Amino acid sequence: MKKFINKPENFVDEMLKGIYASHPQQVMFVANDLRCYVRKEAVKGKVGIVTGGGSGHLPLFLGYVGEGMLDGCAVGGVFQSPSSEQILEVTKAVEQGAGVLYLYGNYTGDILNFDMAAEMADIEGIKTATVVGNDDVASAIKGEENKRRGVAGIFFLYKAAGAAAAEGMSLEEVKRVAEKAKANVRTMGVAFTPCIVPEVGKPSFTIGDDEMEIGMGIHGEPGIRRGKLLPADKIVDEMVYPIIKDLPFEKNNEVAVLINGLGATPKEELYILARRTLHILEEEGLKVFHVYVGEFATSMEMAGASISLCKLDEELKRLIAAPAFTPFFSQKQL
Amino acid sequence: MEALLREHLEPLFFSIKESFERNKEFLIDLDSKTGDGDLGLTMSKAFSAAHESVKASNSSNLGQILAMAGIAISRAAPSTMGTLMATGFMRGGKAIENAQRIGTKEMADFWLAFSKGIADRGKATEGDKTILDVAAPVAKSFSASAEKNESLAVAMRYALDAAGKALEATKSMIAQHGKAAVFREKTIGLQDAGGSALYILVKTMHDFVLA
Repeated sequence: MKKFINKPENFVDEMLKGIYASHPQQVMFVANDLRCYVRKEAVKGKVGIVTGGGSGHLPLFLGYVGEGMLDGCAVGGVFQSPSSEQILEVTKAVEQGAGVLYLYGNYTGDILNFDMAAEMADIEGIKTATVVGNDDVASAIKGEENKRRGVAGIFFLYKAAGAAAAEGMSLEEVKRVAEKAKANVRTMGVAFTPCIVPEVGKPSFTIGDDEMEIGMGIHGEPGIRRGKLLPADKIVDEMVYPIIKDLPFEKNNEVAVLINGLGATPKEELYILARRTLHILEEEGLKVFHVYVGEFATSMEMAGASISLCKLDEELKRLIAAPAFTPFFSQKQL
Repeated sequence: MEALLREHLEPLFFSIKESFERNKEFLIDLDSKTGDGDLGLTMSKAFSAAHESVKASNSSNLGQILAMAGIAISRAAPSTMGTLMATGFMRGGKAIENAQRIGTKEMADFWLAFSKGIADRGKATEGDKTILDVAAPVAKSFSASAEKNESLAVAMRYALDAAGKALEATKSMIAQHGKAAVFREKTIGLQDAGGSALYILVKTMHDFVLA
């Protein structure tokens, strides 16, 4: 294991201390717990949006806390859910009288703790609603979308719901927007190498030097096919066509595209994927509204990438286009 | 005692806390046979925190006080059994929201929601050798007593009897959840640890009401 580490058990807390020290104008922690991460400036009367999940995926999850996006994040250990108490503390900190939306990925531990926190918040008089991202096409067949994992495509849910809350929509409306985005986002990933959880100290799985695994999850969950490494365009074909077929995306649909690196893959390669992806979309008659290329949801030092498509209507387009400003992501009005 | 009133809650939770303190080693030993042996500590911490919460509360709403005790349990004991116990109190308390007294009817509502809450959260069904195998019979017993308009004292006696029988019945079950599930058939003959914790809770409430 070659990592910048002092002690494996301090990995998450030292990372958090670094973030707070680097971005003191934008974020802080509450409840005397580094893992209760919130926006510095609360907006009165705005619906709060809280996410959470394991560490090891930056900029997911906490990276989207900031102006125009989320209000708080409960931070778990590497690949571990935060506790319900941490979620509750973040909830209490971001509540501004309009209720709080829980928006996170579809993982058992996270669901258990967010549901528990929602019940506790209710007892303490805070109204919450929940939307769980499940964009990973490879993780369950069509018709069983509720079993699909949440991966990079949750970025579009954050973006749309965050902009909706910033516009002053009610909790019900922000939830509706998040659900609409969720229904219209699909992702496929491919992994080349495993990642190493610091406290484990060795790779989470093994894969041959000349192999890839299509559909692997962001914690190394098994994908749908392992095989010899193919040329980039062939890999993109194997990812994009299943996404298009799944929703399905149809001729003249307007889409936003997210090409995401899993941690160790250089941006150069991501643009090679973007090139082929956009070529396919053009051939399929899909209209591209905007393309995001970079790291949005990683898996430590895993090499690989994911491709997400989000089908847009006028409302989603407006919300995706709205400005946002966080320590990890910012965009001008598109 | 015809019903639990506001002033009874603090002494009741003090008794519960003491019971779990007394039974700490017993639960540790039981849990060590099939689990990781922390149940005695967990329950002791859980009800010590619950007692603190009830003691500090200035609410007059009994359901709210019990639900807040659930939150305190969750904070103090974020393990599986702590979370289930917390959920039970949160759901149970919520079910008797605004109650000014806890008679047989409220007790039935509390335990039905308690039992359903832990079934939902733990994704367990009856017969899986869990705390639910004691909680569900207790809830059913209180419901039956409520329908017959039994006094709280009588209802508590029936419930304790149901809890005892239910706990005994867990001995013949095979564990399906948690660490105990690894032992499968080897768990036959052992009473369930979570169920034992629930029995202690019911027994303490029984003794308190009948004192």
